[in-house]
Amino acid sequence: MKLYEYVIRRLLLMVLVLFLLSLLIFYLTRGLLPASSAISQYITPKMNSIAKLQLAQSLGVATKSCPNFTAFSDSQAGCVVPLWGQYVGWLHNVLTGNWGYTLLPGISGTETTLTVFFQRFPLTAELAIAGAGLTILIGIPLGIVSATHNNKLPDHLSRIVSLGGYSIPQFWFGAMLQILLVLYIRVGGLGLFPANGAFATICAICIPNPGTATAYTGAPLFDGILSGNPAYTWDALVALALPAITLAITSIGALTRIVRSSMVDALKQDYILLARSKGLRGRVVIYRHALRNALLPAVTIAGLLAAFLLGGAIVIEIVFTWPGVGSASLAAANSLDINFLELYVLVTALIIVLTNLVVDILYAKLDPRIRY
Amino acid sequence: MSENNPVKTEPGPPSRSADLRYALHRFRQNPLIIAGSVISIGTILIAIFANVIVNPKLGRSTDLDLRLCWNNPALNWHITNVFNCGGTVYPLGTDTYGRSVLSMIILAIPLDLQIALEVVISAVVIGVFFGAIAAYAGGVIDEVILRITDIFLAVPAILLAIVLLVILGRSFSILTFAIVITWWPTYVRLIRSQVLGEKEKPYVEGLRAMGAGRVRILFRHVVPNSIYPVFVQATLDIGSVILTVSALTFLGFSPSPLIPELGNLANAGSTYIFTAPWLIIFSGVTILVISLGFNLLGDGIRDVFDPRLRR
Repeated sequence: MKLYEYVIRRLLLMVLVLFLLSLLIFYLTRGLLPASSAISQYITPKMNSIAKLQLAQSLGVATKSCPNFTAFSDSQAGCVVPLWGQYVGWLHNVLTGNWGYTLLPGISGTETTLTVFFQRFPLTAELAIAGAGLTILIGIPLGIVSATHNNKLPDHLSRIVSLGGYSIPQFWFGAMLQILLVLYIRVGGLGLFPANGAFATICAICIPNPGTATAYTGAPLFDGILSGNPAYTWDALVALALPAITLAITSIGALTRIVRSSMVDALKQDYILLARSKGLRGRVVIYRHALRNALLPAVTIAGLLAAFLLGGAIVIEIVFTWPGVGSASLAAANSLDINFLELYVLVTALIIVLTNLVVDILYAKLDPRIRY
Repeated sequence: MSENNPVKTEPGPPSRSADLRYALHRFRQNPLIIAGSVISIGTILIAIFANVIVNPKLGRSTDLDLRLCWNNPALNWHITNVFNCGGTVYPLGTDTYGRSVLSMIILAIPLDLQIALEVVISAVVIGVFFGAIAAYAGGVIDEVILRITDIFLAVPAILLAIVLLVILGRSFSILTFAIVITWWPTYVRLIRSQVLGEKEKPYVEGLRAMGAGRVRILFRHVVPNSIYPVFVQATLDIGSVILTVSALTFLGFSPSPLIPELGNLANAGSTYIFTAPWLIIFSGVTILVISLGFNLLGDGIRDVFDPRLRR
């Protein structure tokens, strides 16, 4: 199979997975509860039963021939659109760009789902990218040290750090950072770091009047950089620090372990022996010869890492009241906001599946032994 | 290097006991595995005897006059001391219902451990069953099973569990079910890759020539020979499941705030981070220690038994 054939096959599979996933979420949120619960969140106290029936019909849950609202809420025969019909209607709406109005508390019914999602998404992306960057910066060196000092003190220490990070409850670590750096270490009556939010100007190391930045991306850190406003960038960075560290600490374990084991493997290969017997310095052998080969298996966990970071972002966004899509998805689940949930799940899945695809292609490019 | 190693890597009965002895030797040499075993066994013992150490009725009794107090003389905590504790000393303070945090943590351990074991065992059974069939049957069956696991691996597990909990209701059995639903696909992938390698070995062909049935070959011979990485993963996963359970109850998906459960206790503490931090600190430390124990143990077992790392 040629590479492009392989990519096309994988893209088709991706569409299938996304379709099945949307079916699953639709079934869970609409199929398991009585039909009337699908509209309950949209009902306002002022609505009479005619308005309620019209609402149910416009949402595609009640049939056009349904005589009155009581018949619908009693799920009488011929009054409730069958689940597959509801799904087709929903899919049609969604594919034509109609994701409905949001049900999130506070802004319910005033903004469209798409607006809210894409306002919040850059913030989650910023958090996840920062988390991934820190994970790589800490995780890979830790794995190397662990492998080059196999079963000695640095290996044990690195193992404690990586397994410890793997075992830390995210909500707890976040709270500990808040207690330490916001409550205890105070300078001039202010906490060292801001306790929450994606942008803060009130903390000991914050810059009080940072000016403004143009919203190029919607994520404060990138906006600050792109607008060339160092004060704004700094404030965004300070607000990002604690959530990103929490996310990274809890996800370095997987990367460190895989770098360690593939590095231990690589160091035992004959080409390392050859390199050493040629008289190359240890550093060159480790970084130029072993590491390049050892990093290859590490690339394969990128998809897993993406899933872990995006999942972890849900809890961390709650702890730090970070206004991203993760915390919003929890609110959406609680209010059975099917549109927001579907959008969140599909975008997240798209990111994870695409990451896996890119990784597999990269792998084939980096390792000439792999053929498709 | 290899001359110090008393064991050759050939399989077969004669080297098994030597293998085990060598493994035990490696086991004793590694302080982290010993720490992991001690913590894991300790946790299990506390879980078994929790109701003897602490009266389980304390979990349901509340005394609001004693809530959020701290009077441990060993660690004199000068934080907003909301209420006065009275005569008894509470080593880890009291919670929002006036119950001793230490007692509540001890009562919480069996519940969390039970959920973790139930999740891991169910996920292993379901995952091994479907994964083994997928690898052994191949073709359409393999493809279908793989695509189903794709769906679950493409979403953050915690979100699916949240959706299930919102819809099916808040109880610990639904919580267990919701986590199992999101957990089994990883075992499918794991056992599948093992069986794919194992089923090509000559002994499988020999069994087939002897007339053994496919089900018998798969579940009596191939699966037992490829199960070891699953056990390692399962040990590691006990820690991860406890983390997931506590994250879900921390987010409020617990049947009642009164129930002593580690995430639940932390949830109550999250409101009082700056006035009564001991609530979240100690329940979180307990989760960390238990999870770390099982992770150290699983990681150690993997190293000790992994033939590639022995040199």
